[in-house]
Amino acid sequence: MTSNTSKLAEPALRPAEIVREYGPFPDADSIAGVTHDGKRVWAATGKRLIAFDPASGDPADSLPCACDAGTAFDGTHLYQIAERRIDKIDPASGKVVASIPAPGDGNDSGMAWAEGSLWVGQYRDRKIHQIDPASGKILRTIDSKRFVTGVTWVDGQLWHGTWENDESELLRVDPADGAVLERLGMPPGVNISGLESDGADLFYAGGGSSGKVRAVRRPKAAA
Amino acid sequence: MDSLTAAAAKALAAGDALGALKHVALRDDPPALALRGIAMAQLGEHPRARELLKRAARGFGSHEALARARCVVAEAEVALAMRDLGGTPRALMAAVTALEAHDDHANAVHARLIAVRKLLLLGQLDAAETELSHLNGRPLPPALAATAELASAELGLRSLNVAPARAALERAHAAAQRARVPALLAEVEEARSALSHPAARQLSAGNARALRLDEVADLLDSDALVIDGCRRGICAGAQWQPLARRPVLFALARVLAEAWPGDIDRETLIDNAFNTQQPDETHRARLRVEIGRLRALLRPMAEIVATPRGFVLRPLDGREVALLAPPIDGEQASLIALLSDGAAWSTSALALALNASQRTVQRALAELEADGRVRAIGRTRTRRWLAPPLAGYTTILLLPAALQMA
Repeated sequence: MTSNTSKLAEPALRPAEIVREYGPFPDADSIAGVTHDGKRVWAATGKRLIAFDPASGDPADSLPCACDAGTAFDGTHLYQIAERRIDKIDPASGKVVASIPAPGDGNDSGMAWAEGSLWVGQYRDRKIHQIDPASGKILRTIDSKRFVTGVTWVDGQLWHGTWENDESELLRVDPADGAVLERLGMPPGVNISGLESDGADLFYAGGGSSGKVRAVRRPKAAA
Repeated sequence: MDSLTAAAAKALAAGDALGALKHVALRDDPPALALRGIAMAQLGEHPRARELLKRAARGFGSHEALARARCVVAEAEVALAMRDLGGTPRALMAAVTALEAHDDHANAVHARLIAVRKLLLLGQLDAAETELSHLNGRPLPPALAATAELASAELGLRSLNVAPARAALERAHAAAQRARVPALLAEVEEARSALSHPAARQLSAGNARALRLDEVADLLDSDALVIDGCRRGICAGAQWQPLARRPVLFALARVLAEAWPGDIDRETLIDNAFNTQQPDETHRARLRVEIGRLRALLRPMAEIVATPRGFVLRPLDGREVALLAPPIDGEQASLIALLSDGAAWSTSALALALNASQRTVQRALAELEADGRVRAIGRTRTRRWLAPPLAGYTTILLLPAALQMA
């Protein structure tokens, strides 16, 4: 009954407003995850994390490391999903200072940092786990209705990207029960493979095999 | 895509099939099954690859039509590489529709080319040509362009349109170089070299001259009356009279052509056409009947005139007479010459064309098949025989883009 009601109540799809596109970047075939450190946008490209200045689009940094899925930033360190683990990386040196097992054991996609926890999407299992960044212990799990690619928190809102059938949406979900509160549709063939908020009114979305990162406007508090 | 799938796809794209398998070996979710299937295909484990791709296609949900279609295409390509030509094209055509609906044009073209290659292998040349014409004028990625041009060259060579076939091969070569797939380039080279091999002999006054395929085409295009012992028929300019189902008439025409411009005696004609050394009056009567039939068929191209001791061939409009024979003598060479039209022949049709017993033909076909010089499709009464493709490209797996499987 509850799931039926929430399904019926699912909000209408609105088109996402893409503000700007970055890339594709040299030697980066695809984007697996994105994060924002306050100044720069970081993007995981498989074998290298690259950083660019979102204002100019100029490359700012590059760290060689395995980066297969989501990326997050806690104010000091970068967190990066690689194969079935999460590496904690010093952005100055590129050194991996710690590793914890990824909660999805390799089925992990997006990742975000918020309120002292890491939030990790489990792609086809439609889950978002809140985990302890020190141990990797799962603290709680949110069930979404859709495949989860990127995950991000902004102003107490939990957003995640979906990618099914070569169609992607940006969803705001209720962290309590995973109910969809807001839906932004990406144009056909434009996919989301990683998501991060800049803390203000923009999202950065990885574009999968397009190799691009896109800035998407966050709707003004609609709900 | 999740992290291990991404890691596996990355390994696969770098050509590391074993590394890819290591990442997803124990996983049974559809994207992992698809990647495992593609890795197995690249390792040459075709039956296993097919099974995995089938399971992957089944596993994708109804909201994942695109991923499912890509798996169907990959599976069809593996089946083609295994030379498993059974089954209907329905699933593949449904995949084409799904791919086009999602603007995945590269994989849709890829799927259509798999259908074309399958039709070529089945000897259904007209259907292959129709399917190939759907791709005309579309921009294709280099590897697919090379495959399409190879198919087009194959069709051209089968119908002796050598100049367009040569042009298609040159375009295939350029595209294969751009694609940088070494196996593809090697197969284009091989197809090109087939053009320089002797394809037939021209017999005249006891002398034989080896002809390449383009020389055969030139001869058929020329004004000469060509008694074609390769395709079993008679050609004059644009006119073509097939005699594959009239072996007696063809034997008579060949003997008349051998004697040209002189005449040939009745005994030799009877001996060659009826396989008898002791002709009697009934044979002479039969010869008159058969000559009458041949005369009627050749009327637009030549006359057959009676002489005191036999008959003489008189082409119209002062044409020359040329006799074409397979590049080497013997039953096997004649069979290969007949099959070089690329169509699917039954054993009985081949036996009829060669005026040989089915057993003789079967024996020769079995030897040729053991050498890989002919192929059979179907079983028992539906068995048909085909020449191997001139461009042997069909074992190359280009496979739909692996990174987009998830």
